[in-house]
Amino acid sequence: MSSRTGTCIVVGASSGIGLAIARRLCLEGRKVAMLARREPELKALAATIDDNLGQPAAFPYVHDAADLAAAEPLFARIEQELGEVDELHFVAGVMPEVGPDEYDLAKDRQQVEVNMLGCIAWGNAAARRFSERRRGTIVGVSSVAQDRGRVGRPVYNASKAGMDTYLEALRNRLWRRGVRVTTIRPGFVLTPMTEGLQLKGAIAADKAAELILRARDDEKAVAYVPGKWRLIMFVIRNIPSFVFRRLSI
Amino acid sequence: MTDPTMSPSAASPGALHWNEEDVRGFGMAVGGPGKVLRPTTTEQVADALADVRARGGNVALRGAGCSYGDAATNRGSYVLDLSAMNKILDFDPATGLATVEPGVTVRDLWRKAITFGYWPKVVSGTAAVSMGGAAAMNIHGKNNYALGPFGECVKSFDLMTARGELVHVTAESDPDLFHAAISGFGMLGCMTKLQIQTKRVHSGRLRVWGIVARDLAHNLQILEDLRGTADYLVSWVDLHAKGKGLGRGLMHRAEQLQPGEDPEGVRFYEPALQDVPTTMFGVVPKGWLWPGMWCALHLGQVGLVNALKFRAGHLEERGSPYLQTHGAFHFLLDYVPRWQWMTRPGGLIQFQPFVPMAESERVLRTIIERCQKAGHVPYLGVLKRHRPDAFLMTHAVDGVSMAMDFAVSRNEARRQELWKLCQELAEVVLEAGGRFYYAKDAVLLASSFARVHGDEAVGRFRALKAKWDPDRLLQTDLSRRMGV
Repeated sequence: MSSRTGTCIVVGASSGIGLAIARRLCLEGRKVAMLARREPELKALAATIDDNLGQPAAFPYVHDAADLAAAEPLFARIEQELGEVDELHFVAGVMPEVGPDEYDLAKDRQQVEVNMLGCIAWGNAAARRFSERRRGTIVGVSSVAQDRGRVGRPVYNASKAGMDTYLEALRNRLWRRGVRVTTIRPGFVLTPMTEGLQLKGAIAADKAAELILRARDDEKAVAYVPGKWRLIMFVIRNIPSFVFRRLSI
Repeated sequence: MTDPTMSPSAASPGALHWNEEDVRGFGMAVGGPGKVLRPTTTEQVADALADVRARGGNVALRGAGCSYGDAATNRGSYVLDLSAMNKILDFDPATGLATVEPGVTVRDLWRKAITFGYWPKVVSGTAAVSMGGAAAMNIHGKNNYALGPFGECVKSFDLMTARGELVHVTAESDPDLFHAAISGFGMLGCMTKLQIQTKRVHSGRLRVWGIVARDLAHNLQILEDLRGTADYLVSWVDLHAKGKGLGRGLMHRAEQLQPGEDPEGVRFYEPALQDVPTTMFGVVPKGWLWPGMWCALHLGQVGLVNALKFRAGHLEERGSPYLQTHGAFHFLLDYVPRWQWMTRPGGLIQFQPFVPMAESERVLRTIIERCQKAGHVPYLGVLKRHRPDAFLMTHAVDGVSMAMDFAVSRNEARRQELWKLCQELAEVVLEAGGRFYYAKDAVLLASSFARVHGDEAVGRFRALKAKWDPDRLLQTDLSRRMGV
């Protein structure tokens, strides 16, 4: 992948893994369009990166990943303003608190819209262009949560599984056109989304970003971050249902 | 800290349940039983004060309990612990202005600020300190000579007075109250909300130099030579060294980086990368270190440890400058969790004289020699540069301070001997026009109060106390010891 010199888009760049990826892409010398909902925070974070580097590298675009219709025109606008995009990172995700007996459609819908449909909207916009240009990289941050349906967060699991399968299909479609699609399944990472959860052995978001960009460079199809989660999830995936339904994990 | 906080519904005055606890200073050597309540709202603070008033008692205000001595203890009486009022109410990413509750810690604040490229202007050697406590004690950092004390980054605060009125105070609205409540060790009211200005940093890291100081004069000379240019200066002093090497140590100097100087530093805006490491050499959990330090202290090997540390300083000097995160540079006291436990069972006290520059070498030399002669050698000494400030109960002088940590013996005679030694040393300091710092002090006598601050300042402080707290509802072991 010697051709990675174009503009990058990071959807969900105002915190956690998305912010860490955006910082590292700027450090690679790329122009980075940082997309997130909250304008003051996003602008300040982009300005902080530029201030550190001493040159403009981060460009804030206010965007709600649930606003599906906005993805296509915003992609076009970014290309117009920052030049051709050859790398998309979809990192936006929501994980609301869900009670053990809660079936709240509004919360469920939000997760499907942001985590899954948001990814599809941006993935489509990128795929259309990258496929035609016969180059480009798409990285989607899924989750280890996609590997099983669990008692704690049914629709988080489902939305991530939907996104994950979409990315796999995209990878298979685009591979023959020279476009690379990498699916990332992070385990425990220290981010605002996981704040308050007691996650043993969680890694820093910057470490996750380092591993994600390495997976991109190695053109991995699916990367667990950190790698030990491949083994953990292999075990969890192979727990038979009659046992798994009795567990609280 | 496991007991429940106050219930949200206010009980009638005199009917609140206060929890019996052992309330001690950070050094564990002073303090004792207190009746504790942990409010979560401003209304509950008012209720708690009214409750104590109705009972005819007195109450001490306590933040994170990081004062070494008795500034936040109140033996046999009431203690209002504000650590549960710990929300950052607002942080403006465009200006770096934070609005916080008093129990928010330095750690909470820097974690929020660094994400947006800001850092608190003044931080202590541990990040556990609360904002309310930092303002009340008017703490200083390793940049006191340059940016002044904590009070200078406080834009405003809401003060709940002893009578339950809430006053919004700025340096303009009521300069007297502003400059006395900050530095007034919780005597004039309870801060329930503060606005704190943080500063822009251009990297998540600092450039740091280790500089070996051969002796006391050299140590002081480095402070003088560098204070015009360095952003931070702090020196560790080997107080066991005698003769030619008396007052030797290792100075740390740090400078902020400019835009474009440290691109890799952009990654370190992530709070998790600022934290001091929790393991040594990547494997040994640091929580296990204090028993080893306990052995060194109780087997009388501190002199050896200091000598080894001094030798290691030469290596650090050769590897300088190097880049270090803000967190790792500032929070030396957080490197070894529960390090103060090494002084168990007696605990520790800290004695930190502030001495005018002209007298500094003579006074500090006298102090070190007397400690060595008396056989009470502090296991740790830290030298810093200061400058005067406008706060009424200020501890700062145009000179230096040397913080000295003494392990306290459980033997009552030895303990009395240490107190007496410190009081004699205080006499040397006061004669030279020096001062003391209530976040640290445990030994000063009431007769020293006016000598530290001058009759005029003490008169004004007492007048403000009479105005805002005429019934002397707010008291601590410290305030009674100093005869406030």
